[in-house]
Amino acid sequence: MKTDELIAVLSAGAAPVAPGVVRRRLLLACLIGGLGAAALVFGLLPYRDLITAAATWSFWMKVGYGALLGVGGFLLADRAARPGAPLGAAPYIAAAPVALIVAMAVYDLVKLPVSAWHGAWMGQSAGFCPIAVLVTAVPVFIAVAVAMRRLAPTRLRFAGAAAGLLAGGVGAAVYALWCREPSAMFVASWYTLGIAACAGIGALLGPRVLRW
Amino acid sequence: MLRGLAGEAKAHGEMLTAMSRYLRGYFGKRLGPGAADLEDLVQDTLLAIHLKRETYDTAQPFTPWAYMLARYKLLDHFRRTGAHRAVPLEDAGELLASDNPEEGAVRRDLNRLLSALPPRQSQLMQDVKITGLSMEEAAAKSGMSVSAVKVSVHRGLKTLAKRVRDEDR
Repeated sequence: MKTDELIAVLSAGAAPVAPGVVRRRLLLACLIGGLGAAALVFGLLPYRDLITAAATWSFWMKVGYGALLGVGGFLLADRAARPGAPLGAAPYIAAAPVALIVAMAVYDLVKLPVSAWHGAWMGQSAGFCPIAVLVTAVPVFIAVAVAMRRLAPTRLRFAGAAAGLLAGGVGAAVYALWCREPSAMFVASWYTLGIAACAGIGALLGPRVLRW
Repeated sequence: MLRGLAGEAKAHGEMLTAMSRYLRGYFGKRLGPGAADLEDLVQDTLLAIHLKRETYDTAQPFTPWAYMLARYKLLDHFRRTGAHRAVPLEDAGELLASDNPEEGAVRRDLNRLLSALPPRQSQLMQDVKITGLSMEEAAAKSGMSVSAVKVSVHRGLKTLAKRVRDEDR
């Protein structure tokens, strides 16, 4: 086909584009992936009474940590899905929750006697937690990757890392509904490790799965 | 581009036509003379500009967006044809290097940059750097001395260069 004909065909099909469509698609992907993550957590793990759990401070700390990192990942993914878009404040917003949880962990360290450090740090499930975060992140990553391929990521490694961070954040927030660990030291170590692993795996997968 | 996003078919077509010229220049330089797949690559990229137009953030300049799409398509082309060639990340202006900056696609980006300067300096920059008047002609037009024009244009260039660097960060 001649280029001129192509242009004629394309401009004939130029429907108006609603602003905000990129974010809407990513948000929809997060919702679908989040539901998948919730199905995994509540389907595979033993029953937990959410109402009593929700009365504790640590419950909201953990859910909030995952959710805030998810917001940072969302903003980075939005930038990554648009060719040539400057990052703006997104990296700082993504880093802020980590700084916050580390500050809370340091506060715990100061407050607790040294003999209690190890218990607070390892909790009951230090080995399980990062893996649980990784697994719950899988449905979110799949949904976000599908959404991203319909957008236009041009730096695939970075886009993969952003999608991984978003998936890890949402996955961790969902897993936190079930998790019983009360300490900020635990969250700062093992949640962060799980989410960082998601971002790292995302960066590895990006060039393969996000190509369009 | 903006009017194309609003659904104006004619404006959209004009934008694509202008882009096809830029793309032919950009790819032509990188594929070498007489490349058989040049036109395929141009069409492929036009299609991407059309299909992915929702990813253009209207608050950002248009040129870097189009440049990154074109570069992505070029890399993709090299990957598929098995040619292992590095495509350096150049200035987005490279996309338009083969054409005249008076054209519409860059006009908005340029105006946005120039609007950061005081009006008189902005006018001088337009006259000297875009229209191509000599320093003497611009001085006569603005009623300033030739050396004042030179200083003003030089400072304007420095300001703009700094702004572009800041925006890219």
